[in-house]
Amino acid sequence: MTWTLALPELVLAIAGLVILVAGVLPKQETFFPVSMACIGSLLLAAVLVLGQPEGTALGGHYVADDFSGFMKLLAIGGAAIGILLSLDYNTKEGLGRFEFPLLMLLATIGMMVMISANDLLSLYLGLELLSLPLYVIAAFNRDSARSAEAGLKYFVLGALASGLLLYGSSLVYGFAGTTNFDRLADAFSADSGVTAGVVVGIVFVIAGLAFKVSAVPFHMWTPDVYEGAPTPVTAFFAAAPKVAAIALLARVLVGPFGDLAGQWQQVITLVSLGSMTLGGFAAIGQRNIKRLMAYSSIGHVGYALMGLAVANDVGLRGLLVYMAIYVAMNLGTFAVLIAMRRKGRAVEQVEDLAGLGRTDLGTAVWMAVFMFSMAGIPPLAGFFGKLYVFLAAVQAGFWTLAVVGVLTSVVSAYYYLRIVKVMFFDAPAGALDPAPASLTVVMAASGLFTLFFVLWPAPLLAAAQAAAAALLG
Amino acid sequence: MIAALAFYLFAAILIASAVMVVTARNPVHSVLFLILAFFNAAALFLIAGAEFLAMILVIVYVGAVAVLFLFVVMMLDIDFARLREGFQRYAPIGAIIGGILFLELLLVLSGWSFADQADDLRLSPNPGASVTNAAALGRILYTDYVYLFQLAGLILLVAMIGAIVLTHRERAGTKRQDIAVQVARSGSVVLEEVPVGAGIKALGIRRPPEPEAEPPKVTHDAHHGGHH
Amino acid sequence: MGGITEMTIGLAHYLTVSAILLVLGIFGIFLNRKNVIVILMSVELILLSVNLNFVAFSAFLDDLAGQVFAMFVLTVAAAEAAIGLAIVVIYFRNRGSIEVEDISTLKG
Repeated sequence: MTWTLALPELVLAIAGLVILVAGVLPKQETFFPVSMACIGSLLLAAVLVLGQPEGTALGGHYVADDFSGFMKLLAIGGAAIGILLSLDYNTKEGLGRFEFPLLMLLATIGMMVMISANDLLSLYLGLELLSLPLYVIAAFNRDSARSAEAGLKYFVLGALASGLLLYGSSLVYGFAGTTNFDRLADAFSADSGVTAGVVVGIVFVIAGLAFKVSAVPFHMWTPDVYEGAPTPVTAFFAAAPKVAAIALLARVLVGPFGDLAGQWQQVITLVSLGSMTLGGFAAIGQRNIKRLMAYSSIGHVGYALMGLAVANDVGLRGLLVYMAIYVAMNLGTFAVLIAMRRKGRAVEQVEDLAGLGRTDLGTAVWMAVFMFSMAGIPPLAGFFGKLYVFLAAVQAGFWTLAVVGVLTSVVSAYYYLRIVKVMFFDAPAGALDPAPASLTVVMAASGLFTLFFVLWPAPLLAAAQAAAAALLG
Repeated sequence: MIAALAFYLFAAILIASAVMVVTARNPVHSVLFLILAFFNAAALFLIAGAEFLAMILVIVYVGAVAVLFLFVVMMLDIDFARLREGFQRYAPIGAIIGGILFLELLLVLSGWSFADQADDLRLSPNPGASVTNAAALGRILYTDYVYLFQLAGLILLVAMIGAIVLTHRERAGTKRQDIAVQVARSGSVVLEEVPVGAGIKALGIRRPPEPEAEPPKVTHDAHHGGHH
Repeated sequence: MGGITEMTIGLAHYLTVSAILLVLGIFGIFLNRKNVIVILMSVELILLSVNLNFVAFSAFLDDLAGQVFAMFVLTVAAAEAAIGLAIVVIYFRNRGSIEVEDISTLKG
């Protein structure tokens, strides 16, 4: 039997069930121990992913290769830090219930299934196993109308997106007679070409996945959900699920639909252009910093998709490096946002950061590092992320993408630098409460990564190179 | 011929009830039309030879999902009249866009052709008439699809956790049975050996001690119970 | 047996019915701006159309994979409906209505 190939998922699923029982039985609230247990199981799963052999298993529904390893480690890391970020906030906001980390753990299993999907059916089930917990945790603050509304919006649009994805999958199945990725690749590589029906199907599939990564025509939910959901949930949304959805998009397009690259490259190019532009301009007028980060994340997805639009090994390497750097600096930024409390109440306006440089220099410096990095200022990590995708686009002759990318980077630098200006040059709006240790650790860790990536980029680049090669393999 | 007639009949009712689901004024009617739509879709499944799915659709959908919908519609106190506002305003433009979308889909779908090798690429060809539909599905569901079967279980678990965590509220003042406390209880209840034929007063048996923080009504009921 | 079988009712008939259901579902989502429960039912219609597609293709390809896919879609749809209705319930508890259009606390 080859089921041991899926050991990380199996171990995580069993750990989740055990933690569920262990969390439910005691009389008192078990939020903290359950969170720790969830982080522990995620780390265990990460170790297992590192030691995972390559191959396909479980009826061809599961594939493990360098690409899945790279993306899974990113997703697991993002999820573990996401749980860490929620510890303090949830306790203070009265959301400290043990189901919260557990749902994040189950969502992580969904991400791993997505990343390892080798069949349209495992793709769909992984996506739903990711989405359903996300709908719930978006509405987790059930006494807040905003949170319930965020959950509702996310749910309705998410359900529509998975409906479209399914309709597309059914057309693809109807054409090829199979849902397995390897066999689909065979069906599409035939000389007879494809029919219009299957192209419509692929467009529906891309639309469904574009919703999950909040790329432009399907981004409407992002600002509302990011603003309405509790901040640690927003932090979680912006990191791990994006990695998984981008990984899935890359695997589906490059794998089974690889021979139709000419058809989907145009779609992805348009999506990427739209996302970069919207991310650059729409964030300018935002006063709520969570909303601003929502538009920022749409922009970042646009840059990452540029690598996918190029669709060669350099482009995919750029995509992978971009996602890794994006997750790191995003988690750091959200650590700062979660730490934003004044007199015990969470605040989320840009003005609330005013004068942070004078009242809490440490946090302000880290935030400045993240903002400079997101704006793509050398020598910070964010610059290299952009550099690799732009290089790929230029080498492959995608000049429009590269030029629009540079221009929108300049535009978006405006609002990132505005935050730095507010922190260091505006009159203090009153001191924020001191950041708890768990958040400071995350800030420092991702800040140091962002600062010193320039010194040791080789390991990440090599890993991304291997992963891209495995995907194109 | 009969199959074709049945197909057209069920398809027509299916589409008509789907239209009613979307346009009915009263959400309760919408749910009922949804149930009708599911029944007719199940009939179409039967005509296509998917007997097991047809049964599942009726049992799971009509039996569980539609009833869940009905339950929520009735539980929430909804102002039905206001819900339809705006519908008439958008309906014509929506119908036009929907019509265009439908015609486009029809154009694409009408001349459907399979890939040349679709025959060889199939993963689980139908074993033929010797095996029933349910048995054939069962053969592959627990073998080739076991990974996905387990995943579906996890998804249902998530749904359960999610529904409970969102809607369940611990009400103040509710009483729960605590078995551990009951078992560990000693001292307050004592067994005494009673000589047969003697009255309670003569023996000096105490009544059970009055509960302290009990609301008065409950104490009253408890007394009644005690006397019977 | 093998091969792609011929049936009395053409594949195009099934695909047309399913396309109508899909369009009706999308139509329902965008027109019923005020009633979340009907939106959830429209999602169910979309999933029904998907299932009809899978079953039809499965029959015409003489392959069971489509039916298995439809079965999983049914399972997930049930889970999705449960979560969706739970969210609707807490939304109603907070706001006292299930209208979506008067969402003004979060604007686009």
